[in-house]
Amino acid sequence: MTDLADRVPLAQQPPKPGSGRVFFGSPVNSAVSVTCLLLIGYVFWHVLDWGVMNAVWTDAGGPEACHASSGACWAIINARWRLILFGLYPFDEHWRSGLACVVVVLTAILSCLPVFWQTVRLATLWVCGFAIFYILMRGGMLGLASVPEEKWGGLSLTVFIFASGVLVGMPVAIGLALLRRSTLPVISRTTGAFIDAVRSLPLVSILFTAAVIFPFVLPPGFQGEKLYRVIVGFALFFAVYQAEIIRGGIQSIPVGQDEAAKALGLSYWQRVRMIILPQAFRYALPPTINQIVTTFKETSLVVIVGFFEIMASGNAAYGTGEWTFAYVEVYAFIAMIYFAFVFTLSRYGAYLERVMRVGQQ
Amino acid sequence: METRQAAIQLSQVNKYYGAYHALNNVDLTIFEGEKVVVCGPSGSGKSTMIRCINRLEEHHGGRIVVLGTELNEDLRNIEEIRRDVGMVFQHFHLFAHMTVLENCILAPMLVRKMTRSDAEAMAMRYLERVRIPEKADKFPGELSGGQQQRVAIARALCMSPKIMLFDEPTSALDPEMISEVLDVMVDLAGEGMTMVCVTHEMGFARKVADRIVFMDRGEIVEENTPDRFFENPVHERSRRFLDQILGH
Repeated sequence: MTDLADRVPLAQQPPKPGSGRVFFGSPVNSAVSVTCLLLIGYVFWHVLDWGVMNAVWTDAGGPEACHASSGACWAIINARWRLILFGLYPFDEHWRSGLACVVVVLTAILSCLPVFWQTVRLATLWVCGFAIFYILMRGGMLGLASVPEEKWGGLSLTVFIFASGVLVGMPVAIGLALLRRSTLPVISRTTGAFIDAVRSLPLVSILFTAAVIFPFVLPPGFQGEKLYRVIVGFALFFAVYQAEIIRGGIQSIPVGQDEAAKALGLSYWQRVRMIILPQAFRYALPPTINQIVTTFKETSLVVIVGFFEIMASGNAAYGTGEWTFAYVEVYAFIAMIYFAFVFTLSRYGAYLERVMRVGQQ
Repeated sequence: METRQAAIQLSQVNKYYGAYHALNNVDLTIFEGEKVVVCGPSGSGKSTMIRCINRLEEHHGGRIVVLGTELNEDLRNIEEIRRDVGMVFQHFHLFAHMTVLENCILAPMLVRKMTRSDAEAMAMRYLERVRIPEKADKFPGELSGGQQQRVAIARALCMSPKIMLFDEPTSALDPEMISEVLDVMVDLAGEGMTMVCVTHEMGFARKVADRIVFMDRGEIVEENTPDRFFENPVHERSRRFLDQILGH
């Protein structure tokens, strides 16, 4: 039977059934399809009814207006969005926090453009990006009022912890992956044990150690600001996972690639830079994007060491007496912000996969 | 004849893979400008021997001297030798994430410190010599096997090597692509390059080789001129091998 079908030229074969035939081909199929459509429609109508038609959009009437309505209370976002986005940052300086957030996002977007994919350009971009972020947020110079790190909060803190965690963690991850592939057993085994050890710890305990325990055990002068200790802990956690992803990428490279580079007289570091890492990242791209997305969402855990990133400031936004009933709307708002970031990251990952596949089977 | 300089000298070279004795007291001297074809049944140590010459494999006994430098653990010696010894692999091993041109200019720029424009000009000259300049901006995955192998030869030549090693360069190719690669190698031989070639292409061996080295079970069994090797092989094992590959 299949032989016959194979021999019929493509043009003469019956066309593949369209979606109409698939979903409504038989009475049973039609019944299942109609039921599903009705269900989806019902749920969608209900959400629309709650979120749009009956919703209260302005905070002119205060919480009382929401109590009177059966719909969503977007009024709380109207009333409290600055608390959600900026946390405890001084009210009059919110523009600085907002601008700083834009700077980090812009730096991230720029570094996604192939024009910047050179070590010097990337390094310059990120050093400038972080310097501007720091000056804007911390102040105390250029006529900006000083705002200590413990007052930072909201979206800009989330973005800062995420970006610096990944940026510090990525080179560490590359280093760990290369060390783990060392031909010297002492080095590869020690690195392996280190990665396994850190991976076995929950992120919460690492953050807690960095924030609370290190000030006791480190000598004075080595402690640094709590925020930076936490970022280092965060970066370390990212690095051990990412190291294994990169190692997987390196192991996917046919061994002949490295041999060909050796035969041309390239040194170890030249091979790593030009042959091994570029190809390893191509193979490891899907899990890398996965890891970065997870990391973005894990930033919400810093609340346990007392940082008001966007989740925590969201909690605070509905936590005061009159708005306590409106937590669903606050979480929906925060979810949309997370979604905007993570979905963009995912689409960028998909774009990278397309670009890098050019000319390769 | 004997006043010529030795380009490669293997003396009493041994190599083990665990308990397996891959090279057994191999002695071989290859002179500058000489073309040597290495043949033998599979598993006879041909590839292992040629890969020891640029130390893709480490030898475990004896001495290997290439272009006057002895190969040992010293990484600087190894890299110095690799610069002057080009290698072409059975499976091409072009860098998959780079275009043909980028494949060719990589090592000249990084190792020989050439400028990009000089390296590109030279790469285009060699790509023309292997008759494939129009593919310079393609990726390896877009080329046929024969085209990839010619690019691999150009890539090796871009380092201006003094010696070229070929490790079964046509064994992974479809039959109709073998001759395009062999033609390039014959041209190269005509220009006086020192060549060591592991191959089963006996027509090529007869045409180009100054000497045939026949290996079996990790040993060099017979060294002879092509005429005498094909007409009247000295050793019983050589005779049996020739019967097998020429017999049909």
